[in-house]
Parts: sequence; structure tokens; C-alpha cells
Amino acid sequence: MTIVLNCKGFKFPRVDREKFVSLIHLGLDYDRNTGLFSIKSYNNIEKVIDTASDILGDEVVFLQNCIRCGKDFPCRGCNYIELCATKNLPFSCVCPQCLIDRKNFETYLTKF
Amino acid sequence: MQKQNNLLWVEKYRPKKIDDITGNDEAKALFLEWLKNKRHTKKAVLLYGSPGVGKTTLVLAASRELGFSVIEMNASDTRSEKAINAVAKPATSYKALDNFTENAKASGNVLFLDEVDGIAGNEDRGGVNAILKVIEESLVPIIMAANDPDIEKLRPLKKVCLLVRFQQVRIPLIIALLQKICMLEHVSAEFEALERIAQNSKGDVRSAINDLQSLSEENHSLTLQDTMLLTSRNKDISMDETLKRYFSAQNIAETSTMLAFSSVDYDDFLLSVGDNLPKRYPDAFELAKAYDYVSQADMFRGRIGTENWHLLKYFYNALTKASAVNPQSYKPFPFITPPIRIITLFWTKSKRNTLDAICGKIGAQCHVSHKTAKHDFIPYIRAILQKKPKSPLVGWFKFTPEEVDFLSKMSRF
Repeated sequence: MTIVLNCKGFKFPRVDREKFVSLIHLGLDYDRNTGLFSIKSYNNIEKVIDTASDILGDEVVFLQNCIRCGKDFPCRGCNYIELCATKNLPFSCVCPQCLIDRKNFETYLTKF
Repeated sequence: MQKQNNLLWVEKYRPKKIDDITGNDEAKALFLEWLKNKRHTKKAVLLYGSPGVGKTTLVLAASRELGFSVIEMNASDTRSEKAINAVAKPATSYKALDNFTENAKASGNVLFLDEVDGIAGNEDRGGVNAILKVIEESLVPIIMAANDPDIEKLRPLKKVCLLVRFQQVRIPLIIALLQKICMLEHVSAEFEALERIAQNSKGDVRSAINDLQSLSEENHSLTLQDTMLLTSRNKDISMDETLKRYFSAQNIAETSTMLAFSSVDYDDFLLSVGDNLPKRYPDAFELAKAYDYVSQADMFRGRIGTENWHLLKYFYNALTKASAVNPQSYKPFPFITPPIRIITLFWTKSKRNTLDAICGKIGAQCHVSHKTAKHDFIPYIRAILQKKPKSPLVGWFKFTPEEVDFLSKMSRF
């Protein structure tokens, strides 16, 4: 099974001190009030995903955010997933619908 | 207007605003946060990532938006200790006069050192240390950009900088940008053609825009068929593959295009071509002609050094001509790689080290340079040791038995 996380905030089960420190060193931020982790630095994002998989005991993927429609979507529907150097990592992208949808594109262009 | 039309699209559509930069939103946010609020706690930032992902564009756009004046040193400038001190020190030691005017937008200077991983060779000696010193004493933010931050010489810089990583721009984002440019340039483009350009660019926005312009500017239309002209931007092309395409090229244009896209080391390639030419041209006259071109290329490579890259086209021209002395005579042959000179250097490394140690011992005892020891002393010492291996010289120079053996048996050096 694949676990899908949203980079804006996600929960981990309780981890030991060492693991918590390593997560913070890798660039995660922790909100004590909500108990949610979020990504502060993306420099070590591949290691973050590996550590998250290790903690959750399953494959972890992050949702992408579409720059045109603003929706969150997973990489699995993308036609270019095999060629992508950053697949499943939480970076902005264009969702498959928006890429071929002319109407949405024209709305997007009005921003420029 | 005329001037605007003649511009390269890369420049014409270089984003002026931060929001217009394609991709790397997370890196942009981190950089802006530093430039706005955190530059006092960490004085320098190192932006790193592959070419064409927007590092320089972000610096220029952010500086413009936040009212900074950019003082830039890039790879085309000599960046020795002296040059950096001459430019960077004044730029970072004083706050700009703008700060004291009523211009509310003026924020002062930023020093931007582009392609810091290119600081190399004798011309740039002491460059990294000078940058470290400038960072320590600077009153203004310092921004650096590099393609490869993992090289050894940048390690000290990484310790004092905030690191911001830029990822390759994703294919859908490049397609979206190309669609936008097509609309603004009134180019009617097939989606599949844009898709192919984006895939071929391997995350490099600059090369994608250049490809789009070269394929569609003339006819204002772009079909998938047109993109077949694109040569693959294969950044991992091996030396063997490059040599194969080089020697089998049917004309100068083919070699020229291939060389433009290949990323093999220029020096290794030049040596490999030199080594393989006799196999390529069995005819002595053709071989002589080809070697003449290779020697011209070698001359230009020497003049290029580490900074005169505008001469690279002459280097390529000469190499290209060497490949096309007689295109019809090509017959496949096994290539010699790596170059013989490199193989020889590898095999003789331990011998050279021993000789160097011997020269050092002679130099220390006789107060002469290594060169003098090698040329003026060793021939005589060798002759003496060949006749009398237990000569008192051995003790006086403190030669080890291996060194005595080496000297007695050496035939030439």
C-alpha cells in the first residue's frame, strides 16, 4: 500500500528522540499545538521521504499542487512520471487535466 | 520595438517578477525569506542546481522587486583573490548611498557571484578564500550560485552559507511555459511538439525555450515533425559514443551539432581524437591533414585556458574539420579510450613518485632544484650505482634499497 502525504501538514506515530532529531535535521518542522509535521527545507527531501517510509512502514508519496487550478493531486496519473527527476516529491506542477484543458490555460494566462 | 523583436526569447521572456519564474517555488520561498528577514543572521546564500532552472533569474528578479542593486561577478570574470578584493570588498564594505535618500524602495547592494563552482586554475587562485573573507566582513547580503556544490573546494563556503537547492523543472511546467510563449509569439504549436521539446530539455528551461525559438520562429508554426530535427540533449553521452559519432559523421554540420551537445571533457576528447586518427585515416596524406587540424584545436584549447570560452567555437571548428577530411573513407574500428597519455600516466604513477622522491633527496643534499637533480645529477648517479651498487653515495643521499634498485634499472626518464 502507498501512503499519500500532503506536505502542508502530516502526522507521524510517536517516534523516539533520535528519530525526531534526525527528522528536524533533515528539514522538517513540528507544530506542538497541532502535532503536525511540515516541510521547512527541501534540500534533503529524498531523505525525508525515505525516513517517512521507514517510520510509517510503507511506501510514501507526496501530493503535488497544481499551479493552474490550485488542486492537490498525486503523481501517478502523470504521463511523464518515468522521465521525472522529482516524482512523488512535494513540488508544484501542472495537473494532467489542466495541461490539456485549453479553457483553464487561458484563465491562467490572464494572470500575466 | 524592433530591438525587442530581435531579442532571444530566453531574454525576452526572462521573468521580471518572482511569481513568473517557473518551478522551484519552495526554493524561491526559502531564498526570499532569507533576503527579506534572515540575511543578518546568515550573511551568504548558495543557490545550487543544474543549469537553466532559474537560479540567476531568481536573483535578478528578487533584487529588482526588493530594491537591491546587484553587483555581479560571473564565470567570464577572473575571480582571483586580487580581483575579488577589488570588486567585492568595496561593494560589501559600504552601504549604498540609496539607503540615505528618500527612495523608499532602495535596499542597498547585493553581491552576486554566479557559477562559483567554476572558480578554478591559476587565474582564480585564492578565490574561495577571498570569498570567505568577504562573507565574514560583509555589510551586504552575498548570493552565490553553483551547478555542482559537492566539489571539494566549495566545502568551506557551504559551511557559512544558507543552502538552497534548485530541482530540475518538471516537464508539465516547461510545457506550460512553452504554451505561454507560443501564445505570446503567435506560434501555432502542436501539443506533442511542445511535449517533445520539454522532454528533450531534461529540466533545463533555457534550452527548451532556445529549441522552441529555433524551430518555430521562422514559420510561426510547430509540428511534431519539426521537432525531429532536435538532437537529443543527452548529458550522459559516453566518450565511446561521442567518438563513434565524431568519426562516422558524413559532413561538418553533423559533427558540429554532435559536439555542441556532447559533454565529454574537452582535453580527454582532444587526446582521444589524436590517438584514434591513425585508425580512422590509413592514408598518410589525409592523416597529416587531420593532425594539422587537431593541432590547431589544441592551440585554441591552450588559449581558452579557464576563461576565454569565446574561443571555444574555433576549437570546435578545427576539431570538426579533422573529422571530415574524407567522410567517405570511414570504416568502423575499435576506439582507444581513455587516451594513451592518460593510461601511460596511470601506469607510470608509482615510478614518477619514486623518481620524485629521489630528486627530492638529491635536491636536499646538494641544494639544487628537482629539475636540476633530475637532468644533471641522476644520469651520473645512475651510472655510478650501475657499476657500484654499494657506493657511499647511497648512504649520503639516504636512498632506500628500492630507490637504488629503481636507479640502477631505469632506462630513461
